[in-house]
Amino acid sequence: MNETVTTRRRFLVAAIGLCGSTAGLPVCRAWAQGNARLDAAELPSIVEMARRLYPHVWLPDEVYAEVLNDALTSVAAGQAARAAVTAAEAALDAGESGRFVGLDTAVQVEALRAIEAEPYFATIQMAVRDRLYNHPTVWEMLGYEGPSFERGGYLNRGAGDIDWLPETD
Amino acid sequence: MPRQYELADASVVVVIGSGAGGGTLANELAQKGLDVVCVEAGARLTLADVENDPAVMDERMGWNDPRIGPPVWLCKTVGGTTMRWSAITPRIRPHELRPRTTYGLLDGTSLIDWPIAFEEIEPYYVRAENKMGVTGTHGIPPSFETSNYKVLAAGGRAIGYTEITSTRTAINSVARDGRPACLQIGFCHEGCKIGAKWSTLYTEIPKAEATEHFELRTEALALRINHDAAGRVTGVVYADANGVMHEQRARAVAVAGNVVETTRLLLNSESARFPNGLGNSTGQLGRNYMRHVTSLISAVMPGDVNYHKGTRQSGIILDEQYHRPGRGFAGGYIIETASDYPLGVVSVTGGWGQPVAERVEKFTRLAGVFITGEDPPQPDNRITLHATERDAYGLAVPVIEYAMHPNSLAMQEHAIRQTTELYESIGGRDVIASRGIGLACHNMGVARMSRSPDDGVTNAFGQVHDIANLFVSDGSVFSSSGAANPTLTIVALAIRQADHIAGRIERREL
Repeated sequence: MNETVTTRRRFLVAAIGLCGSTAGLPVCRAWAQGNARLDAAELPSIVEMARRLYPHVWLPDEVYAEVLNDALTSVAAGQAARAAVTAAEAALDAGESGRFVGLDTAVQVEALRAIEAEPYFATIQMAVRDRLYNHPTVWEMLGYEGPSFERGGYLNRGAGDIDWLPETD
Repeated sequence: MPRQYELADASVVVVIGSGAGGGTLANELAQKGLDVVCVEAGARLTLADVENDPAVMDERMGWNDPRIGPPVWLCKTVGGTTMRWSAITPRIRPHELRPRTTYGLLDGTSLIDWPIAFEEIEPYYVRAENKMGVTGTHGIPPSFETSNYKVLAAGGRAIGYTEITSTRTAINSVARDGRPACLQIGFCHEGCKIGAKWSTLYTEIPKAEATEHFELRTEALALRINHDAAGRVTGVVYADANGVMHEQRARAVAVAGNVVETTRLLLNSESARFPNGLGNSTGQLGRNYMRHVTSLISAVMPGDVNYHKGTRQSGIILDEQYHRPGRGFAGGYIIETASDYPLGVVSVTGGWGQPVAERVEKFTRLAGVFITGEDPPQPDNRITLHATERDAYGLAVPVIEYAMHPNSLAMQEHAIRQTTELYESIGGRDVIASRGIGLACHNMGVARMSRSPDDGVTNAFGQVHDIANLFVSDGSVFSSSGAANPTLTIVALAIRQADHIAGRIERREL
C-alpha cells in the first residue's frame, strides 16, 4: 500500500507541473483528476498502442496503463514520455475514424508501422518495454521467478531440473 | 590496518584501476612487500549493496560516461568488471599465441605473434586458476550443471562434440578461500550477492590491505600521468570525489582501466616530449582494438529449461577453439552457456509486435549460449579522443572505431550454424542469433605487447616500450584476442608482471 501512496504523490507533483505549462491536453485532464493510475479512458489509444507493441492476450489493460503511467510520471524520463504520448496520440487518432481504438488489429499494426521511425515511437516503445518486462504480473505469467537471493537462490528450488532431455552420446 | 601514503612518497608503485588486472597486480606486489597505492575511479561497494536487479546494479557499477562508437560494457567500481563478469575462465591455446605464424597473412589484419611463448604463460595460468578458484583445476569440483548446460551438453554430444565441460568457471563449486559455494542465485552480471564468484573486491583488495603495504583510494579518477625530463613517469594526477586534484608521486605506474579508459588516460597524458600521448611514439596506441566475435543465440526447446534458475554460465564447448581453415576462416571460437531475463529476451529479439511477444511467452523453454571467438587485429579498429566533445569532467570523449573483419563475419555465421544444428538435434527450434557487432564486454588490444615498438606499444612484460617505469596491466596488452574470455589471461599476465616488476625493483632497476 505504501508504494501506491508514494506513486500517487509522485504523480500529483508531476501533474501539477505539467498542467501549469500545457493546460488543455488530454493527458493533463487525466492527471488533474489526481488519479494515481492512468485512466485508460483518457488515453485509450496509447494503452492500445502499448498492447500492440507487446501483445499478450492474458495481460489486462490495467497493466499496460500502469506501466505507461509509471513512464509518464518518472522524474527522469517523464517529460520526454509526455511529449511522445501527445505526439503519438495525435498521429494514431488522425485516421478516418478519428479513433485508433476499435480498428482491426491489422490496421492498428499498419498505423504503428507508419510512425515507427518517429523518435517519439521509440521513446514510448522503450518506456513500455523496460517496465512491462519487469512487472511482477508479467514475470509470473511468463514463468520467470525473478530475484532469488532472499529465497536462498535456486539451488534447492529447481536449478538443474529438466525432465524431457533425450539421451545422447 | 590499511596503510596511508603521503602524496609526495615517490617510493610507491601506483596502480590505476582495481579490477582483474589492477587489483591482481596491486595485491601481488603488496604480498611481496612492495608499497602500492591503487587509484580507482569508482566507489567501494559491499555485498550488502548488491541486489538482484540489473538496472539498479548498472546504476551502481556501470561506467556509462559518454563514448562515441559501438557500445562497451565497463564498470566504475572497486573490482571493475570482475563484479560484472560471467567468470568463464578458459585458457588461450598455444596456437592462439602465434596467430601470425599459424594463420599466415590475413588481408586487412595486423596479426603478430605474442612475444611470449605458451610455456612462459602456463605456470601463471596455474597460479591464476588457483587464485580464482577455477572449477576443474587444483582439485576443485566441476560447476553445478544447470539445465541450460544439460541442454547444451546433450546437443553438443548429438552433433559430435567431445570437449564439453562444466568446469573452467571462477565461481566456487565448494566453499574455498573464505568464500562460500554458489547457491545458484543467478544475477551473476549484477555482482555476486554472496561472493561465490571471484571478484577482486573481496579477494585481492582485502588481501592487499592485510599486508599493510597497500592503500586503495576510491572515487579517484586518474586524469594524467606525469613524467620527468628523462622520460620516466613520476606520478599520477587524479580528481577525488569532490573534484579536487591531487598528484600521487610514484616510482612506477601501472595502468589497468579496461582498454577504453586506459587509452584515454595515456592519450590525455600528452606532453612536449610525448606529443601524441604516453606510449604512442610510433602511433600504435589505440590501434588494433579487438572485442571478440560474439553472438547471443537462443532456441525454443520441446520442454521447460528455466534457464534463469542458476548461474548464467555453467559450462562450455571447446571443440571449435582450433584453427581449421576448412571451416572458411582463421582461428576459432568457444560456445558458452548464457541465459537471460525476460527484458533481455525482448531486447535481444528486437522489434515489437506479435513475434517478440510470442518469443518471450516461451521464456521457460528457452536455452541459450554466448559465442566468443577470435577477432583479428586491424590497425584502423582504434580508440582515439574526440577533438571537441568533452564529458562532465572536461575530459575528451573517447571515439571507438570498429568494423568486423570478413574472417569474423564468416566465423560468426559458422558459430550460428553449428549452434542451430546443436539445438535442432535435440528438438530445439526457432533459433534466434544476434549478428554483427555486439556489446563489448571483452575489450583487448590498443597497447599490445610486441617485440618491436613498430607494431605494438608494450614489451613482453606489458612495459611501455619507450618508458622504463610505465606499465599496462589490463586486456590492452593482448597481442591478439584468442577465443577465450580474457579475464583469466589478464590475471595470469598481471601475476607475471608483478614478478617482473618486483625483480626489477630488487635489482634497483626501477
